Amino acid sequence: MTSTAPVVRVTHRFRASAERVFDAWLDPAMARRFLFTTPTGEIVRADIDARVGGTFVLTDRRDGEDVEHTGEYLELDRPRRLAFTFRVPKYSQAEDRVEIEIVPLESGCELTLTHTLAPEAAEWADSAAEGWTGILRGLAKALGEEG
Amino acid sequence: MELAPQSLDVTLVALADPTRRAILQRLSRGDARVTDLAQPFAMSLNAVSKHIRMLERARLVRRRRVGREHVLSLDPRPLRDAGAWIAEQHAAWTARLEALDALLQAEDAAGSPSTPAEGRSP
Repeated sequence: MTSTAPVVRVTHRFRASAERVFDAWLDPAMARRFLFTTPTGEIVRADIDARVGGTFVLTDRRDGEDVEHTGEYLELDRPRRLAFTFRVPKYSQAEDRVEIEIVPLESGCELTLTHTLAPEAAEWADSAAEGWTGILRGLAKALGEEG
Repeated sequence: MELAPQSLDVTLVALADPTRRAILQRLSRGDARVTDLAQPFAMSLNAVSKHIRMLERARLVRRRRVGREHVLSLDPRPLRDAGAWIAEQHAAWTARLEALDALLQAEDAAGSPSTPAEGRSP
């Protein structure tokens, strides 16, 4: 993808197999313990309809306030690839996209997660030469002297 | 989350256009009159004004009147907020993956991986 929509990318290496790591995202009992919960929060609802076109709802209760995380599965290719849309309706109508690539290793696996913020927001593609973080960094740098 | 993401959406849309980014970059070097700003762009003053209005709505640009001129200046705060929000997202995903790793390792330590489930069809 040549889009320069803002992207957050994180890589993590697991000792567990690619299958176990993949399945954890779709297993409500596991997902509620690591996904979208916060240190002070508690997942009060974890509904996962694990099929392409299926949706998920994970509701985190934070200080008595329920924050719903919801989305739709776009791709499920066990154990290598998982993609879903992602929204927090309480905070924004923007629909983000999360793509997860899992590469099995001799022992364990490596997961790369790419969170694209509001990919539909606009005409990003015409500035493919600039990375999004580059844009922000460049601007921040340009602004540095302005305190 | 400190930033109201509704305003983040507005910032990101405002930044999504190369002309608007060029305007911001120009203003990062100092204030400018609308007419001066429009000069380097191969478009009408009217078209540039539209971009400027979007940047004003996103609070990235402020306008003040000096005599008969409109002078624009940059307000970098929404940029910093957007950068901070993206950094927060990065930290959140890192924490989630570490939490998942810890869960899987705890399963291993307990000697009962909950998974094999090879036949699972997602």
